[in-house]
Amino acid sequence: MSRLDRTRTSAHQLRPFFSSQNLLNRADGSAQFDFGESSVMCSVVGPAEVKLRDEKLDRATIEVVVRPLVGLPGIKDKAREQALRETLEPLVLSGLHPRTGIQIVVQTMKDDGSILATAFNATILALLDAGIPLKSILGAVTCIVDAETNQILLDPTTQELANAKSTHTFVFDNKSSITSDSTQEDKEAVEVSTLYSDSTGLFSEEEYFECAQICYKAVQAVHGFIRTAVQKKLEKEQQQIHS
Amino acid sequence: MASITTEEESKLLIVLPGDQLPESGLMEDSSAAHRLTLGPGLAPMDDDSITAVKAGILKHNAVGNRWWVESNQRRYVAAQGESIIGVVTGKSVEHYKVDIGASQPALLGVLAFEGATKRNKPNHNIGDLLYCRVSMANKDMEAELECMNPTTGKADGFGELKGGFVIKISLGLARRLLDPKNLVLRLLGQHIPFEMAVGTNGKVWVNSANAQHTILICNAIRNSEYLNSAECSAMVKSLVEKM
Repeated sequence: MSRLDRTRTSAHQLRPFFSSQNLLNRADGSAQFDFGESSVMCSVVGPAEVKLRDEKLDRATIEVVVRPLVGLPGIKDKAREQALRETLEPLVLSGLHPRTGIQIVVQTMKDDGSILATAFNATILALLDAGIPLKSILGAVTCIVDAETNQILLDPTTQELANAKSTHTFVFDNKSSITSDSTQEDKEAVEVSTLYSDSTGLFSEEEYFECAQICYKAVQAVHGFIRTAVQKKLEKEQQQIHS
Repeated sequence: MASITTEEESKLLIVLPGDQLPESGLMEDSSAAHRLTLGPGLAPMDDDSITAVKAGILKHNAVGNRWWVESNQRRYVAAQGESIIGVVTGKSVEHYKVDIGASQPALLGVLAFEGATKRNKPNHNIGDLLYCRVSMANKDMEAELECMNPTTGKADGFGELKGGFVIKISLGLARRLLDPKNLVLRLLGQHIPFEMAVGTNGKVWVNSANAQHTILICNAIRNSEYLNSAECSAMVKSLVEKM
């Protein structure tokens, strides 16, 4: 089956990834992450000084700011801020930096669907670049259930999102990976490693779990990509010593 | 995900947050005492496993069975015993307030200088540049500094840095500059006489006979971060020739 964006042939195919770390000069960490024509830039400042009223005595304060592609931030952006903050708070080992602030700014650069998933992936890369201590890394993927064909399409574009019956975004950590092909263990792994899930539209329970399963498998590729990106950066830094 | 194999497949063993260290591999070298010392980037988790919390290169020292993760970041987090460069930002009866690039300014006692007494102590003003040592670092408190060697009470090179120029670089590059075999500094030294102080907080002070030389040295250091040995020699050569 050919997809609406014509570059992909399969429903379970992701668009090509692209990432770049350490782009911004004045932030402590920054990264860009692309899913095809969707692009998000993220900057991290911290652990830095924090306003006295936001200061927490036993851990770092995490502040997330989401900037839209154009115009002023609206309700949608505030919802994304909350989603990012609530997912990251348990992931960041904020107890290691009490009475400090970690500010994360997420800016959409190009919007062609799946922005929330792109933002999650950009944020984790920026956090890794900033050297913020984390419990694990995460990876995010969006999928839709097509209104006409009832097929599950991974990583939808804006065009495909318009035909969606329901949209699902899943975020998984890298602690448990698929060890066998048995679906039972698979299901457990999906449940254990889900950090965040956001669904809109009408869908059945079966559809939801099928989406989760498919996204979980796709996220393994995202994890692999993040690992390669970090590895390349480190090798570049170390080449003088090891050559 | 991805437990780490201890056999060295490549030269660099790269870990990401969430990667668990195998317990058997951690203990194999410590035949006498079953002790394990964890350095930066590694932490014991709730499930008793030892997990990486930063992205970097896993390093091991058989003496004392030490394990740590060598990572790079731009924000300084004070650690005891490190030599750093700071700027005086405030002054009170007992302390100088020094900006060291961490989340909070550090405190430097007015008597923490060589031969300082209540009657006779050095006077520093706001804006002065100081090369000092972190005498106490605690995540819950402001860091404390001193401008002398605590065992001998001698200055040992610590104190005010006069003249020259300061640049900010990543903490990883600063650590590599402290390596006596560092390539870029050796190459620069063949062409230009200069003096420098490297703070592990990523601040580098450079002083030479004239401003052109200082700027050239600063640019060469900044450029060297992501170059290999051959590129580094070419870069220094072209900068020196253009002068």
